[in-house]
Amino acid sequence: MKPFVRVLEGVGSTVQLMVRAAYFLPTLPRQFGRFIDQCYLIGYTTLPIVAILSFFIGSVLALQAGYAAQNLGPKQFIGLLVGLSMARELAPVMVAVLLAGRVGSAIAAELASMKVYQEIDALETMNIPPVRMLVMPRLVAVVVMMPVLTIIADLVGWFGGAIVAKYTDFIAIEPASYFATMRQYMDFGDVMNGLVKAEAFGFVVVLVCCNIGLNTRGGPREIGAAVTRAVVTSLIIILVLDYFVTKALS
Amino acid sequence: MNNAQQTARVGLFFLLGIALIWVTFETLSGGKVFQDKGYQLIAGFESLKELKEGDEVRMAGVKIGEVLHTRLAGRHAEAVLRIGSQFRVKNDATATIVMAGLIGTNYIGIDLGSRDAPDLVAGAEIRTKNTPDINSVMSEIGQLSQKLEGALGNLGTALGDDPNKPGIIQKIDTLLTENREKIGGTLANIQQITDKVNKGEGTLGRLVSDPKLHDELVSTIEEIKRSATEAKTMIASAQAIVDQVKTGQGPVGTLIYDQKAGDDLKTTIANLRSVSDKIARGEGTLGKLLNDDTMLRDTQAIIKKVDRTLDGLDDTGPISAVGAVANGLF
Repeated sequence: MKPFVRVLEGVGSTVQLMVRAAYFLPTLPRQFGRFIDQCYLIGYTTLPIVAILSFFIGSVLALQAGYAAQNLGPKQFIGLLVGLSMARELAPVMVAVLLAGRVGSAIAAELASMKVYQEIDALETMNIPPVRMLVMPRLVAVVVMMPVLTIIADLVGWFGGAIVAKYTDFIAIEPASYFATMRQYMDFGDVMNGLVKAEAFGFVVVLVCCNIGLNTRGGPREIGAAVTRAVVTSLIIILVLDYFVTKALS
Repeated sequence: MNNAQQTARVGLFFLLGIALIWVTFETLSGGKVFQDKGYQLIAGFESLKELKEGDEVRMAGVKIGEVLHTRLAGRHAEAVLRIGSQFRVKNDATATIVMAGLIGTNYIGIDLGSRDAPDLVAGAEIRTKNTPDINSVMSEIGQLSQKLEGALGNLGTALGDDPNKPGIIQKIDTLLTENREKIGGTLANIQQITDKVNKGEGTLGRLVSDPKLHDELVSTIEEIKRSATEAKTMIASAQAIVDQVKTGQGPVGTLIYDQKAGDDLKTTIANLRSVSDKIARGEGTLGKLLNDDTMLRDTQAIIKKVDRTLDGLDDTGPISAVGAVANGLF
């Protein structure tokens, strides 16, 4: 019963946090510096790892599809397979997972330590709402940066697949053929689907990590536990949400 | 890193993302933010098969629109097509559902139609033609394979796959084996005959090798031909006569085809029959003459009397004879 109540508490406090952040949205111009900082952290510094991961995910996908299509015949559809898989599923999910691991953990650690070392209390004492200064800029930053990261992940993944498809002996498909099937059978709706999913994942990951960080109680040990809890919760929410968002968008 | 530099990087990064999204959009959707509404055409089919919303509409292989939606209309299915406003479809153009690949991708193919035909207007129904889908083709192939299997089975039976039921080849083999000597003898005889023919022996041999006999044969054949020609002419003449008779010309024709002549003939035959009946019954002079002996006897007596009288006349001389005649006359 107790874990169930804690889950409900978590959901309730997260929703409250979201509403409070929305309330402080008009103050964004005054928080512009913090917003830029968060954009830099969430977007710019995450780009290399997103690019590397997406390249190899696209490559592996093409390799496995080529292996499967070896006895099947229509190898040119590898382009379509990689394109659709990356755009609709893998890019948004992998970017969100990376965000949870790299940015979510950092947010949870930062806010938890601020909470543990009573910096949050100090802000409240100075009548500065911590949500306005610490949460709202992060949420806006992730909403702005997630589509950028996801489209880069899509494109890098597609090119990774194209390179593997061309230079692997048992696939050997020209990039023109690879991208032709992608263009023929895909439309921008597929890419848009992935961008919307990534937006939802990024927003929820940052919101959950902020909430867990702000609700940390205790000492330094609880900071580590909060980070672990934030990352695990984020990963679970990403995959659960993935199902529902996919169903809603299909 | 100062704040300005950081802001610039974030701005650049954001703009890069927007640019990439735009490029992807341009590539995949042709860069049309507001889709060209075009105009709609209705295409009715017995079955839409694998056709679904969003499938392409192509004219001569060029994409000119897409399937807007599909629906049931009474006893057939209809596809509502959205055709780009820059494309014109002639009213004698025909739409068919074409299979683009074996994985079930279909599109609607429209032919160009005739050059002078008027254009279809928005909302018009385009002519359609139902084509067999892969399932019906496979079904046909299945039936064909069954027939082929049957034919091969028959061939197998003929060839004698089953040792208990000897096939035609086995039967021929048995026949040849059993009659080997007879066949050998027959062939030897044939060989002998052909040798003789070659040497010019016998009738056939002479016919083959003797030119005189050959000439005679040729002249005989010509004679037969001539006779046949004459026979043909004769038959033609007979045919002409028969035709004449058929048309009722000439005495025979009149006799056969003229009703009056027939009736006269019947009457004549009836009269003859009546006369013959009377004669048979001994009626009338002729009947009595033929049937009554009295008349014969009377005649014989008269002849005897005449004979005696003539004898008497010989004695009295010519005057007496004249006198007797005169007495008789007067």
